[in-house]
Amino acid sequence: MATTETPGTELERAAAQVPAHATEPAPGLLPGEVRPHPSPFKYVMIAVILVVVTAVEVATSYLEGDIPDGLIVTLLLGMAIIKFSLVVAWYMHLKTDLPIFRRFFILGLVAAITLYAAVIGSLHGFGN
Amino acid sequence: MATIEQTPSTTPPEPEGTQGLPAPTPHFGGEEPGHGQGTGITNGKLAMWLFLASDCLFFGAFIAAYLLYRGRHLNGLTPRDVFNIPFTSATSFILLMSSLTMVLALAAIQRGDYRRLKIWLMATALFGATFISGQVYEFTEFSRRGLKVDTNLFGSTFFVLTGFHGAHVTLGIIWLLSLWGLAAQGRLTQRDAERVEIAGLYWHFVDIVWIVIFTVVYLVPQPGK
Amino acid sequence: MTTVSDALTVPTGRRISLLRRPKSSTGFWSWFTTVDHKKIALLYTGTALVFFVLGGIEALLIRLQLAQANGTVLTAAQYNQLFTMHGTTMVFLLGMPLAVAFGNYLIPLMIGARDVAFPRLNMFGYWAFLFGGCFLYSSFFLGGAPNGGWFGYTPLTSSPITSGILPGRGPDFWTVGLIMLGIGSTSSAINFIVTVINMRAPGMTLMRMPVFVWMMLVVAFLTLFAIPIVTVALIMVYADRNFATTFFLPGKGGDPLLYQHLFWLFGHPEVYILILPGMGIVSEVLPVFSRKPLFGYAVVVFSGIAIGFLGWGVWAHHMFATGLGPVAISAFGLSTMLIAIPTGVKIFNWLGTVWKGSVRLTTAMLFCLGFIAQFTIGGLSGVLHSVVPADTQQTDTYFVVAHFHYVLFGGLVFAVFGGFYYWFPKVYGRYMDERLGKLNFWTMVVGFNLTFFPMHLLGLWGQPRRTYRYDSGLGWEGLNVVATVGAFIIALSVLIFIVNVLVSRFRGAPAPDDAWDGRTLEWSIPSPPPEYNFAEIPDVEARDDFWHRKYTEDEEGRLLPLPSGGSDAAEVTTHDGAHDPSHGGHGIHMPSPSYFPAIVALGLPIIGYGAVFKTFWVLVPGAVVVLFGIYAWFIEPATASD
Repeated sequence: MATTETPGTELERAAAQVPAHATEPAPGLLPGEVRPHPSPFKYVMIAVILVVVTAVEVATSYLEGDIPDGLIVTLLLGMAIIKFSLVVAWYMHLKTDLPIFRRFFILGLVAAITLYAAVIGSLHGFGN
Repeated sequence: MATIEQTPSTTPPEPEGTQGLPAPTPHFGGEEPGHGQGTGITNGKLAMWLFLASDCLFFGAFIAAYLLYRGRHLNGLTPRDVFNIPFTSATSFILLMSSLTMVLALAAIQRGDYRRLKIWLMATALFGATFISGQVYEFTEFSRRGLKVDTNLFGSTFFVLTGFHGAHVTLGIIWLLSLWGLAAQGRLTQRDAERVEIAGLYWHFVDIVWIVIFTVVYLVPQPGK
Repeated sequence: MTTVSDALTVPTGRRISLLRRPKSSTGFWSWFTTVDHKKIALLYTGTALVFFVLGGIEALLIRLQLAQANGTVLTAAQYNQLFTMHGTTMVFLLGMPLAVAFGNYLIPLMIGARDVAFPRLNMFGYWAFLFGGCFLYSSFFLGGAPNGGWFGYTPLTSSPITSGILPGRGPDFWTVGLIMLGIGSTSSAINFIVTVINMRAPGMTLMRMPVFVWMMLVVAFLTLFAIPIVTVALIMVYADRNFATTFFLPGKGGDPLLYQHLFWLFGHPEVYILILPGMGIVSEVLPVFSRKPLFGYAVVVFSGIAIGFLGWGVWAHHMFATGLGPVAISAFGLSTMLIAIPTGVKIFNWLGTVWKGSVRLTTAMLFCLGFIAQFTIGGLSGVLHSVVPADTQQTDTYFVVAHFHYVLFGGLVFAVFGGFYYWFPKVYGRYMDERLGKLNFWTMVVGFNLTFFPMHLLGLWGQPRRTYRYDSGLGWEGLNVVATVGAFIIALSVLIFIVNVLVSRFRGAPAPDDAWDGRTLEWSIPSPPPEYNFAEIPDVEARDDFWHRKYTEDEEGRLLPLPSGGSDAAEVTTHDGAHDPSHGGHGIHMPSPSYFPAIVALGLPIIGYGAVFKTFWVLVPGAVVVLFGIYAWFIEPATASD
């Protein structure tokens, strides 16, 4: 039962993409993309940023006692959010993929944060 | 009950590319983006994102419990007593780098570079295993010093949260090694790039959960006692 | 043809398969290895109905105990197991599986697809359900069933085994069993979402989908996000009980209320998971038997979505008596009142559908009308609970028992029975007997209301829940007897239903493909449907597309049958065969049967027993079984290529 005569099977679409040089993404978009995905060079750059931010985070944690706790927490959370966003946007391709993925993930994330913040608040978390 | 079927060599190669390779999914729906009213995305990737959304609530609950119970333990060892920030920073760095190697593995298979695919997949698995070794060391060290899962609230919330994270990482390592095995046998080809991507999504997710844990458990100023 | 991958392919002709691929299409093994959504739906239904009967027997025993003051039919220990298992069974082994059953059978048919997105995962979900249910029930023979209530409040259930407060393994069967069931539910949820999003026929936009499919989509999201929360709660209970963690141990700073929050964060969306499929069924049945489209389709859909969102914001209304403080209880009281709005809106839409319609009172229609009346009553008692001071009196009394049985039994179960009568002709090509059906309906109405209406009064008079006996002299005996009699009438009604199913299956009046002059796509294909559902995937041009191919309206809005319209599938426009890999109905590649869903699922109870009995080495073979099954599953192509 030959089905490869029909145009547009995954096999033929994948074959149509000619492999390109290692520092550029393959031409043409893969299923699910709306923009070309990042190049390996970009991935490495993101990794460098992640390492730098982590180093700053660790350094900040050592400032305990020298600057107010609230400020440390704000800075640390901010940096965690930066790292989180970088990995999610670039490594997990949310920036270059169809919006639907982004929406589902954010839905789960926002749900989790909101609900659990409510729980902690109800149980006299946050110091009250 | 393994069977090895020999098809006669005069038979033309089977169109779904069986020849020992995993066949593309059947043509009855969303596997062919663009047909019908689908979104143009494949089922597997969508499914993984949905699973990750669900996993946010799973880890969120344990993190919330940890945050709720911060500083409320009545006795026993505290974070200040046991945490070794330089050590954990090192293991966190390794896990972060594993995300890089993971996405490089994906880039490799997307352009058909199978040699690099195997290198980066193995690197990711090895980094992951190093991270887990670090966790194991940390757990045994804490336990030796008197902090166990039943010692106090800190012990309970800490070990269960990081334990489940470690379990997720371990499953990921097994997954990556399996992919490496398939690649080594030549059974992971460019058109299977999405399988690597899906594994990558899972791996990155596990990494970002750790980003949150590392900040919120280890780095924030610890409660007074 | 050459591909980039050729250079690395394994030498031509060698194919390794572990276990010969199952091939049978009839007989036991065809059911055991099926990946066909229709067969899977029937498996879910049959298994769920068995658990329905078991849960019903538990209820009858409870009612026998409570029919008199100081009853001696059951000991307190037995009673605790029975009411725990009754609730656990009805929620997890009847309600949720039936939703998956209806969803499984109907979603692909209603959106014009040939199967769900992940057929083997679909079957895995069934096995997880079957094994999880059997695992739970095996506890009766292995030291005692769960006895901490279906909600399992801490610190009772989390008390360490060694403390002797709640001895035995019942609570561990409960936590582990529910985690197992949750794995199955989550997999089904992911499957349904991907199916609905990705596999609709051309032209089937979201706003053209049947309401039932919309409701299942919302339910799938609720399941996806709620199950992980309860999983965490259950893990914490298990850990407290078996590893002496301190999550809920006040003596070490833990807070038992954390459990209640986590449980009800799951538990409230859970009740919407239970009821929304029923609302979906009603939304399909009423228009057909009123010969009118659903009144306010968009409003019904958006109400369902609104319920899905708002349902997350009301959970602490189960905790009004726990000392949350005035801010929290005001907020949750308000949000609970708010959620009555979209719910009530749907009632009006259903009434508007039937109003001035050309109504046929078939059994299916009767059950759905019963749903509207009884669900409304349940909703009214529910909204009474939203008034915090009133709820403080009502909570933990039989008033609450009355409320949720009215919405879940008088609501969901009635809708489900309506659905059975409605879609039976599609599944089996025969009508269910209408006389037996009406007998079924009326005995159920009488039995149900006799059982549960008195509980409103008993609750307000003070009869507490979850208590194995009550004293004489409180004036409760009379209505308790009435309730018990009603319960046995319900049992009779269920018996009539079973008889009807058996009789109709083999001797029912033959039904045409379009048994009821339906509106949605499932009626456009043969009854029973062929394995591939649609010979040609339809091109959808409107909501209720099938109806519009059969009828148009004249200037006065009267229905005019279109020539040669109807269930003749060849008349339904299909999209260009060149793009249709099914080649116009010939050589359609359906996913092939497989052993591996069963094998992977088998690992779950193995792991489960190891966890319950704390023989942890057992986890190793269990994990091996799961891993082996997963590997084999992924190596096996979805469709066998011969």
